[in-house]
Amino acid sequence: MSITTIHDVEFGAELPVFEPDTSLANVGVFARAVGWGGPRFESHEGARKEGFPGALVPGIMGMGFLTSAIHQWAPVGQVEHVDTVFRAPMLADTPAIISAVVTDIDEDDGIVELDMTVKNTKDETRVFGTARVKLPLS
Amino acid sequence: MVDLEELKGKFLNTEFASRDLQLEADNLIAAATASGESRPEFVDTAHESFQATPAYLCSISSGRHLPVDFPSLGGIPMDGGKAVERFAPVKAGVPLTVKAHLHEIYDKKGRSGRMIFIVVRTELFDADNAHLANIDSRLVVREKPDS
Repeated sequence: MSITTIHDVEFGAELPVFEPDTSLANVGVFARAVGWGGPRFESHEGARKEGFPGALVPGIMGMGFLTSAIHQWAPVGQVEHVDTVFRAPMLADTPAIISAVVTDIDEDDGIVELDMTVKNTKDETRVFGTARVKLPLS
Repeated sequence: MVDLEELKGKFLNTEFASRDLQLEADNLIAAATASGESRPEFVDTAHESFQATPAYLCSISSGRHLPVDFPSLGGIPMDGGKAVERFAPVKAGVPLTVKAHLHEIYDKKGRSGRMIFIVVRTELFDADNAHLANIDSRLVVREKPDS
């Protein structure tokens, strides 16, 4: 269900699952766009030489996946605040699963609070956080 | 053991870096699209409110991670997370000013020792000095045990 006003939101509702593109090529595009291009994010071999298990997905790209999931769920919502904790590295070419749940609704001000996670296929949390989203009152 | 109250007194809320910059539209679109974003305001320069995504804002730096005279805490600072608070759209091709200060210093103690958290707040302003966004970077340092 696409969310258009605050009254469409139900407490405890889960956002549709969002599976982002974590391919090495796509991660490289993001890394270069934000000025972080280099082996750590663009080459498995290069990242291993730096001591990592493989090329990493930048933590802020995880935030990008989370806000994209919010925007797909609520196409007119405005993410006013998003806070993410980088708990463990995300690896490129490894599937990631985005999930989010509504934890608070302020119908007077049109504000929704969300808890969000990025997990791998072993159900291990890589990134988690919260978001405050402003929605139209009507 | 580092005295956090002393660190707070000396460093909190004092600007330690600033610089001017402009964002490039192509980079905003590439980062947004790679993140799975499809809303026109983030991927279409023709949109009246074309702007940077929150994640892109997190890549903006003042040029320094910490004040030049901030003491070594014994470990390498790790990126513990980021937060963004947006007050107005941050657009491409317009002059922006970035200012950074230490916003918060706190610790957490566990069986493996003490972790010190340093929150660096980067503030974004436009040419009219309107406050557009805050970006908080949470640096985590595992304190080196006293020997």
